[in-house]
Amino acid sequence: MVTVIFDIASFTSVMVLIVLGLGVIASMMGIFNFAHGEFVLLGAYTVYLSATAGLGLWFGILAAPIAVGLLGLIMERIIIRRFYASPIIAMLGTYAIGLVIRETVRGLLGGHYESIPEPVSGVFSIGGISFSIWRTIIIVATLVVLTGSWWMLARTSIGLRIRGALENPMLARACGVSTTRLYGFTFAFGSALAGLAGALIVPLYQLSADIGIRFLVQAFLSVMLGGVGTFQGPVVGAGTVGVMASGLPWLVPPVLADPLVFVIALVIVKMRPQGFLGATRS
Amino acid sequence: MNGTKDALKTLRRGFLSGAGALTAAGWIGGAASGWLLRPGWAHAAGPIKMGIATDITGAIAPSGNADWQVAQFTVEQINKEGGILGRPIELYLEDTASDPKIAVGNVRRLIQERRVDVVLGGITSAMRQAIKDPIVNRGRTLYIYPQLYEGQECTKNLFCTGPTPAQQCDKLIPYLIKTVGKKRFAMPSANYVWPQLLNKYARKVIEANGGEVVFEEYYPLDQPEYSATISKIKDGKVDCVFNTVIPPGLQPFMKQLFESGFQKNGGVLTCVYFDENTLNYLPAPEMEGLYSCLDYFQAVDDPFGKKLQEAYSKRFPGTKYLFTAGAAATGMYRGIKFYEVAVKETKGDLHRDAVAAAMDHAVIENGPGGGAAMVPGHMHCRMNMYTALCRINNEKPYYEVVDKADMVDPREC
Repeated sequence: MVTVIFDIASFTSVMVLIVLGLGVIASMMGIFNFAHGEFVLLGAYTVYLSATAGLGLWFGILAAPIAVGLLGLIMERIIIRRFYASPIIAMLGTYAIGLVIRETVRGLLGGHYESIPEPVSGVFSIGGISFSIWRTIIIVATLVVLTGSWWMLARTSIGLRIRGALENPMLARACGVSTTRLYGFTFAFGSALAGLAGALIVPLYQLSADIGIRFLVQAFLSVMLGGVGTFQGPVVGAGTVGVMASGLPWLVPPVLADPLVFVIALVIVKMRPQGFLGATRS
Repeated sequence: MNGTKDALKTLRRGFLSGAGALTAAGWIGGAASGWLLRPGWAHAAGPIKMGIATDITGAIAPSGNADWQVAQFTVEQINKEGGILGRPIELYLEDTASDPKIAVGNVRRLIQERRVDVVLGGITSAMRQAIKDPIVNRGRTLYIYPQLYEGQECTKNLFCTGPTPAQQCDKLIPYLIKTVGKKRFAMPSANYVWPQLLNKYARKVIEANGGEVVFEEYYPLDQPEYSATISKIKDGKVDCVFNTVIPPGLQPFMKQLFESGFQKNGGVLTCVYFDENTLNYLPAPEMEGLYSCLDYFQAVDDPFGKKLQEAYSKRFPGTKYLFTAGAAATGMYRGIKFYEVAVKETKGDLHRDAVAAAMDHAVIENGPGGGAAMVPGHMHCRMNMYTALCRINNEKPYYEVVDKADMVDPREC
């Protein structure tokens, strides 16, 4: 039973970690970033590059959020900021960006799958039950990142300004808050979270160009389920999807579990269109 | 000044070889409408036109590129030795792009525009199913399919040169049960046709040899979480996992299985599509003790195969597309050689029915892993099969051939 809970918790952490960046950007900026999966991929790829260049895995994991965050900043300045007026076009635009990134990485990897070892591998056991060390680290890292992000958005002045700019951009500008800079920062922050997520999860999976896609659909489902507009919403949504995706295979044949997650989620969304914690602001 | 020029030259060469790598990686190849490899000489009767339809781009591009390189390599060897009865082979490539919808149109081009005499290629079963009709029925052209697969392909004028379930299971499973001493099998599988039909056959062999299948289960191809499966393996006291989970679901499965201590507690893992390419798919400790069964491993002690590998690495130095069995590359080599033998028998008559009649009983003396012989009337070939065990030396995984079976029957059709 303890193992079941641990396994579900570790997969849910992966889900939350991935959704966090997507949720921040969607909630704070109103942009659904379809390139999010590829930002996750780039985070994973950074670790791979760092490992093949002999800089080590830890360096890669630390460098990933910085590198992807910087890329996010550049993207926002050059491309994303042109989309704020039209969220639908933004979806197409970010999808295109994602496609370019994904196929570029596929070319660089030659289409191969690469295995990246955990920086700390193996298991530790408590009371005869063994736990994977890296999965434990992911759970802890998720909690730390989650608390850190929440603290930054809810308790610091920059968080206040971000929320203010979200609430009423015109008023924020009138108060001397540079919304353009804030948007740039928020997008970079969301991208950095994606990069970190990619770097942390890649040892559990294989590095391939499609690593991000696997999670992208479920990540969007999480955001939908949790509701856009708040920080907590997507996180709760990710938790729900994560628990369902890892818990259902215990109850039903795995082939059925996958679509069942979507069915359940869609039923919930049908009943609560604004999501669990969706802001009802119109 | 001269120095700058030289630097520029090397720069450009670097760029060009970079572009070559991109082509190989499938960035550029797909955009052009097919490729052509012309022989360096001609013959009055014209060349023999051979079409290769394989996945140069998309998800299984690594295997497709390996097949294309082996096709070039083999055809160049034949042409260097004077072609087939003095006629050179001209090679045409169409990208099937890992996508049956795109493939059908491209393959049609091979048949209708290039008018090739034979088509070789296709890797996945979905691809074979999609392109066999445009080639064999509407195209009235001979088709050779090179990949290990689930069997049951009995179309006239379609010859299979890769191993069948019987060839992969008939020796391996008794070996696991009788020699390694494992009895309780689990079959975690990706949810598509190859694992389903392979498992069906494997189950029969397991039960016939006194083993038992504890569970057989199918997953979405990219499932990232397997804790429910791992717990079934533990609770069911499984001692042999017959795995047909494929990437991208493979790594999380193998990692969770390894972390559960399955191998440490004496469990054995077998995976019949694992070849030298997959050695790097997983961390070395997870690979240790894994069994595979294929028609060729680079570790096979046979001088012909060794010479072949040397020549291949000389032709494609440092290539990441290896000449291995799992990528259908050995089947590709065999297919081209079978065709050569058949055309020699028809004395250069390239009509489909004539060549197919000769293909039906064609025999090749040598190949990677040994010779092969078509089973008359069955469109599949007998070949040597090798059971290999993955070992670790200096943290590097490698295969050791532990069992060999001569000329195993495909038992198809």
